[in-house]
Amino acid sequence: MTGAETAPRIGIVGDDVPRQLVLATGAVPQRLLGSWHDPVSAEAAELLGAVDAGAARILDGLLSGRHDDLAGLVVCHDSQADLRIFYVLRILAQRGRLPFPVHLVDAPRLNSAAARRFVGRQFSRLLEFCEQVTDRRADLGSLHLAAERELALGRALEAMRERRRTDGCAGAAALRAYHAAATMPPEDAVATVAAAQAPAALGATPVVVTGSNHPDPGVYDALERTGEVLVVGEDHDTGDLAWLGVAVEAAALEEVIDGLAAAHLARPAVATGGLAAERAAYIATCAEQTHARAALALVREHDDAPAWDLPDQRLELRRRGVPLVVRTRIRPADDPVAAAQEAVAEIRIELASTAGGIS
Amino acid sequence: MSRLEAARAATQHQKQWFAETARRARGGDPIALVNADAPHEVLRAFDVPYVVNQWWASIISAKRLGPASMRMLANTGLPDHSQQYDTMPLGAQALPLDQRPWGGLPDPAFAIADSHGDVTHKIFEQWGRRPGTETYLLSRTAADPVPPRWWELVPHEWETAFGTDRLDLLLGEIGDLIGWLEERTGRAFDEDRFAEIMRLANEQAEWNRRTRDLLAAARPAPVLVNDTMPAVMVPQWHRGTQWAVDAARRLHDEVAQRIDDGVVVCPGERRRLMWIGRGLWSDLDLYQRFQEDFGAVFVWSMYLAIAADGYARYGPDPLRALAARFVGLTDLLYVPPWSADWYVKEALAHGVDGVVHLVADDTPGGRFISEALEAEGIPVLEIRANNADSRSSSAARIPERIADFLRTRVPAED
Ligand code: SF4
Ligand code: SF4
Repeated sequence: MTGAETAPRIGIVGDDVPRQLVLATGAVPQRLLGSWHDPVSAEAAELLGAVDAGAARILDGLLSGRHDDLAGLVVCHDSQADLRIFYVLRILAQRGRLPFPVHLVDAPRLNSAAARRFVGRQFSRLLEFCEQVTDRRADLGSLHLAAERELALGRALEAMRERRRTDGCAGAAALRAYHAAATMPPEDAVATVAAAQAPAALGATPVVVTGSNHPDPGVYDALERTGEVLVVGEDHDTGDLAWLGVAVEAAALEEVIDGLAAAHLARPAVATGGLAAERAAYIATCAEQTHARAALALVREHDDAPAWDLPDQRLELRRRGVPLVVRTRIRPADDPVAAAQEAVAEIRIELASTAGGIS
Repeated sequence: MSRLEAARAATQHQKQWFAETARRARGGDPIALVNADAPHEVLRAFDVPYVVNQWWASIISAKRLGPASMRMLANTGLPDHSQQYDTMPLGAQALPLDQRPWGGLPDPAFAIADSHGDVTHKIFEQWGRRPGTETYLLSRTAADPVPPRWWELVPHEWETAFGTDRLDLLLGEIGDLIGWLEERTGRAFDEDRFAEIMRLANEQAEWNRRTRDLLAAARPAPVLVNDTMPAVMVPQWHRGTQWAVDAARRLHDEVAQRIDDGVVVCPGERRRLMWIGRGLWSDLDLYQRFQEDFGAVFVWSMYLAIAADGYARYGPDPLRALAARFVGLTDLLYVPPWSADWYVKEALAHGVDGVVHLVADDTPGGRFISEALEAEGIPVLEIRANNADSRSSSAARIPERIADFLRTRVPAED
């Protein structure tokens, strides 16, 4: 009915796109995620300067032609790295290096009346861009249908989060489900999300993950394969904080747009957009709600924002008896899986040293 | 070669001003610490003296206190490896008082910054936790649109240059900032005074433009480029005062006089060079080191050129004009294609034979700048290093590489 199989796909770099607007023009929003492992090409490294390798790998994917079947690309200003990707692609697109048009979504996080208007205008321009790409105008009917589809996805994700809290879904399975939700037509994603069940190993320590985002499930897999930890929550934009399943039902287009702008400004902040205090409060609450016994921060080199959150996070978590284990400046050539395994060993030691005091 | 009197006077003024400001602050007057891209003129209108974070970093760096400052940060668990230039003052504030430069920066009442990059807002969040300091943050929007030849648009047609949406947002936030300051200082925002501040700032920019035009046309170069830096930058920090206008005018008159008198930096000038990127504060002599062997003279500085092209904003609504001054100031310098087009224009106007391009690790598409210059037949040496950190500039072997570049790629003029 939605024609999702043949629908044009609009690529998304970053996580500030209200997917309802993309869906309402008949396109499928497909987030480009990059990876932990792939080598970073010299070209991407040189074009972007010193940035998180996660972002450089996204640019590599685009320059290598891997995404040439996209109908258009939207890049978010949700981090310095993603903004640089936009600046570079704007020029390369003009030179004919990309077969599709590129558009920026600039959605600041500081809340004010002026910011809400600005974000609203950005979302209106996003809608126009998608309409041009798909050659289909959005109307109240298509916005409504898009809202239903996106909200159904949101419900499936909420049910999955619930399973996660009750040991019914491992972290790696949840991460895969989030990735599916961010890349597939909502109906297909709902099925994948609902199927994300993989129960946890018995006796594994529940942990929450902060730091850099996880563009692929490699590290979560490695963590959980040890049988020692279970990732029960996270505060990065490829997991619990991904902007998915949110839509606005309203009687006029302007109200939908304004509602989405307000929803954006109310989101819990990711590292690049937020202050350390909010970030620390979020991860501490997350640890409490998920009964996590430890927290783990894995931070890639040049992804500088998470490192500024660590002292506050450590303090807030400690107040709740949750130790924070940290690996920072993980370089592109480093093995993130090895870093994760080391971290698990450190979690074991941390918990053993505090266990005496608990019993 | 004697130093510019304007540079000496500016440096001296800055010392006196800082001592006076510190004295006032210790006596209980509120002062502010601001990012270079924050709307300074609002503070001037409130008569709140402000210290610019990046200027203070340059002082810390010149006193070789950068590494010690970064260690203070690391001791508290904060990273010492990100946006070092912006974080250094925060670290230095934790140094023992007798080790801080110039008797130390008194704790500011206000710390004001735009949320540039991934961590500026977090750095200023930390400032706001220091006793007696409150933080105010502004949004930072991206450079979109980027119409061509920005330097022709920004003085009057800034609405076209930056786009109405970006301006509306910053104007709204400046309005909120004014309310925030009124509450805290108990003073009222004086619009007439503010309009006069904006008028003076434009007058200063006009003198800078004339000075830049003189230097672009003068052969051989009549002044050392590192000498113009304090003579331009210090008045920039006092933008909107009569002193700053007079200082900019004195610089202009002194440069004009030198040209009339036939004063030259290097009588054997055979290669005119352009330095792109921030100043290498840790190694200012670098700019002169290539005169003897190569007759190579650095003739252009970003500081004068951006002061000449980047700041003037005219129009009937001074607050909106202020928003237009700051909304994309660093975009003009660092975001291609704006940056690249402007450097090409400046290189051609100054008759430059070669460019040393210090690619900071916080700018994208450095290659586009180099390509644009090379496309005009101007050879470019790219160096990647952080300007304020003396550890990395020596590691990058900059002098050797420049000498090599001059020898192999920049033919001498006769
Ligand atoms: S341009 Fe560089 S020095 Fe200036 S504010 Fe941004 S990060 Fe700091
Ligand atoms: S290189 Fe020769 S001409 Fe140039 S300043 Fe030095 S001594 Fe004078």
